[in-house]
Amino acid sequence: MGLLKKMLKRKQKPSSGSSGSMQNTSVQNAPLQADLQENINQIQEALGYCPDIMVRKILINKRQTRAAIVFTDGLIDATAVENSILKPLMLDFPDNSSEEPPPSAAQDLLEFIRESVLTVGELQELTDLKGALDAVLSGNVVILADGYAQGFSVDMAGWEQRGVDEATTETAIRGPKEGFVEDIRINTVLLRRKIKSPALRWETRIIGRVTKTNVAVMYIKGIVNEKILEEVFLRLDSIDIDGIMDSGYIEELIQDETFTPFPTVINSERPDVVAAALLEGRIAILVDGTPFVLMVPALFIQFFQAAEDYYHRSDVTSLIRLVRYLTFFITLLGPSFYIAITTFHQEMLPTPLLISLAAQREGVPFPAFVEAFIMEVAFEILFEAGIRLPRAVGQAVSIVGTLVLGTAAVDAGLVSAAMVIVVSLTAISSFLVPHFELNIAIRMIRFVYMALAATFGLFGIIVGLLALVLHMCSLRSFGVPYMTPLAPFVPSAQKDTFIRVPRWRMYTRPILQAGQNKVRQQPPQKAKPKPPDKQ
Amino acid sequence: MKRKLILTLVFVMLLPLLGGCWNHRELNQLAIALGLGIDKVGDKYRLSVQVVDPEQVAAKKGGAAAERTPVILYSLTADSVFEAVRKMTIASPRQIYPAHLRILVFGESAARDGIGKILDVISRNWEFRTDFFIIVAKGTTAFDIMDSLTQLEKIPAMKLFSSLRTSDKIWGPTTSVTLDKLVTQLITKGKEPVLTGIQSFGDRSIGGTLENVKRTKPAERLRYGGLAVFKRDKLIGWLNQRDSLGYAYVNDIIRSTPNRVPCSKGRNIMLDVIRSKTKMKGDVVNGKPRIKVMVRQEVNVEEVHCKIDLMKPETISELEKKANQHVKALIEHAVKTVQKKYKADIFGFGEEIHRSDPKAWKKLKDNWDAKFAQLPVTVEVDTKIRRLGTVGNPLIKEIK
Repeated sequence: MGLLKKMLKRKQKPSSGSSGSMQNTSVQNAPLQADLQENINQIQEALGYCPDIMVRKILINKRQTRAAIVFTDGLIDATAVENSILKPLMLDFPDNSSEEPPPSAAQDLLEFIRESVLTVGELQELTDLKGALDAVLSGNVVILADGYAQGFSVDMAGWEQRGVDEATTETAIRGPKEGFVEDIRINTVLLRRKIKSPALRWETRIIGRVTKTNVAVMYIKGIVNEKILEEVFLRLDSIDIDGIMDSGYIEELIQDETFTPFPTVINSERPDVVAAALLEGRIAILVDGTPFVLMVPALFIQFFQAAEDYYHRSDVTSLIRLVRYLTFFITLLGPSFYIAITTFHQEMLPTPLLISLAAQREGVPFPAFVEAFIMEVAFEILFEAGIRLPRAVGQAVSIVGTLVLGTAAVDAGLVSAAMVIVVSLTAISSFLVPHFELNIAIRMIRFVYMALAATFGLFGIIVGLLALVLHMCSLRSFGVPYMTPLAPFVPSAQKDTFIRVPRWRMYTRPILQAGQNKVRQQPPQKAKPKPPDKQ
Repeated sequence: MKRKLILTLVFVMLLPLLGGCWNHRELNQLAIALGLGIDKVGDKYRLSVQVVDPEQVAAKKGGAAAERTPVILYSLTADSVFEAVRKMTIASPRQIYPAHLRILVFGESAARDGIGKILDVISRNWEFRTDFFIIVAKGTTAFDIMDSLTQLEKIPAMKLFSSLRTSDKIWGPTTSVTLDKLVTQLITKGKEPVLTGIQSFGDRSIGGTLENVKRTKPAERLRYGGLAVFKRDKLIGWLNQRDSLGYAYVNDIIRSTPNRVPCSKGRNIMLDVIRSKTKMKGDVVNGKPRIKVMVRQEVNVEEVHCKIDLMKPETISELEKKANQHVKALIEHAVKTVQKKYKADIFGFGEEIHRSDPKAWKKLKDNWDAKFAQLPVTVEVDTKIRRLGTVGNPLIKEIK
């Protein structure tokens, strides 16, 4: 415990020394010089003469001025650079001497280039080396001219990337198929296309001292709860880390409680899910480099809601959702109930069932708990193997798993057939929970319940359940109680908790996470066909 | 502070181990007892426990013929029932687990000696549930009943249980009694208990072997019959089938039963009682108690042996009248028999008097057995014929 605390403390201490040793900060803060060659040298020096840093020296302004463009090979769209930068600068440099006096002052040439020469959309002025370096490394083309202590950074980013594809982790029978990609810009576009409202806002933060990862916080102004938004920014701004590889980094750094198996931040790779969350007043956090978008606040019941729930009929959805809650309990308590009842409460079983179970257990060498434990661990091994293995091998593993664990273990008399049924039911049930984070959390806790069941029987399970409920009620997600709308009980939110009422009945937004704007549609409305006119 | 926290945590983590799984028992450590027979041998009790051999009972692939009997009978004699249950481990490899007991059989000797002492341990022990049936071996020992294999239901105790449960539903004369019901009847003043009897027929010598169930007609057969009448906790005699039905009518425990009613000379019509409700009314006039029994029943016509015209409403009301008379006679006969022969108030008349006139009951209760023998009982029956089945007039009438 002490060790753990020390480790935690160390984690929270900002490691200020590392940044200084890695890069020469004094060089970075230096302003650009008027001498072109010196600027180039400085950039090359700072980037360590890497072979992918391209410096192209050119003559501009009717061959009167020496200039250079600097970019990272592979990060830029080469055709666009040729057409929008090199061509205008070198070949089509407008003749301006006839009508106006030639640009005499230093500032004038740059002004002229910006206003009349470069045919690009996004352009920034550079004055210091740091800006130039950041620009080069994030796919911009830096234009420097001899005799000027300024330069331009032109966004020419274009690199090989995955196209918008079907979301693989959240498949749906019905509903939009597209999924987020690794590029944050495409992701924001996907959301913009869903919500064409001026109220859709987003702010960016650059997080990660080394990786300089773009993180965008997206919300709908007027619906979002400003207090929660403030809290999100506060937490994001206090992150001090060298790099962000995935939104999982952010999730772990901003979540309310670390020592809980339950996720308090939800993620999705479906734009429709994130857009719906935004409309409910949630806040989306997009991280460059990952298709998984975080959404806060995340409540327990949200992990039982799949995107499809809202695209199918409400009665079908309600039934499926109830099944999900049922399988939640099966996953959590299936093996422990089996252990408790067969080792402590045999009187609870109907007699024929008891005899049948007893017959299966004849000759099994392990106590029920050990038997269950072995099988559950075997399942976890198979599961993990199935994820990591290449797809071609995965099938072989599943066959081995089915044959060895399912059939051979029973035939050899090592485990009882009933136990195999219980374990497989638990395993299958766990996948009905639509979100993997919760699914894995339940699978983890179920071992605790198995131990409780093996020592105290049903009594242990009940005590464990009480502890679990207390723990879950104590959780918060960005200030919103985790068990909302069950505890605190919110009557209006029950329309979309265990069941989903028809769309025309769901006219309010969730109360706690949405701000003042709570009404989705005029209550209660129902689109009824009008009777045909009688003539 | 930190040390305290760590200590607390360690203790909490050790807590589950302290439980030590105190009554943890694996399924294969249990000897699941489904049948229990108790006989009285001299001063001692002889216990016969029917324990399941699960492997022989559970469905097997291939359906191979059983090599062993589906149940094992452990039997021994001890001074008390509890002692005998514990002593059973000298013969059985596993501890007897009685929670799933389906049937408890008293040998006739034990029943005549008194079942109160035996019931004490059975109702006191927490492992016994109260949902098993209690029966009395008529003219034989409980051991003999337990030592017999049955067909269709592999486990004899299960056979006895389901047979009694089924026949209780559709055959009026049998009565199923569970532990809680029996104990209530034992301690209620003005109500004596009854138990259904079980009889063994045929060749008992091979009843407990697999040979017994390898024939279409087993050598030893178990059949319910008769109703054991108790006074206090002692068996004093038996009622025959006809009086048992009368008992069932009075106590309103008929769910469905066939009823034979004479329709013309020497010929009968069979009625199936589909609904029956009996109300008992008692009052005390001038210190003299009396009882009125009112039966309302609905019946279907099931089997007709005489040439009557069922299509006429008059015939139906005629039949209803005859059924009324028949049931009335049935009940009166049963009451008379018990009053004369046993003087044991198995009908609960005393309880009814107690309920209707508590003050008078205080005076009556001390000498109730004698009062019961003289109790005037009037019976009223109201029968309604509901359905005639899929044909109208009797076939015998239509035949040319």
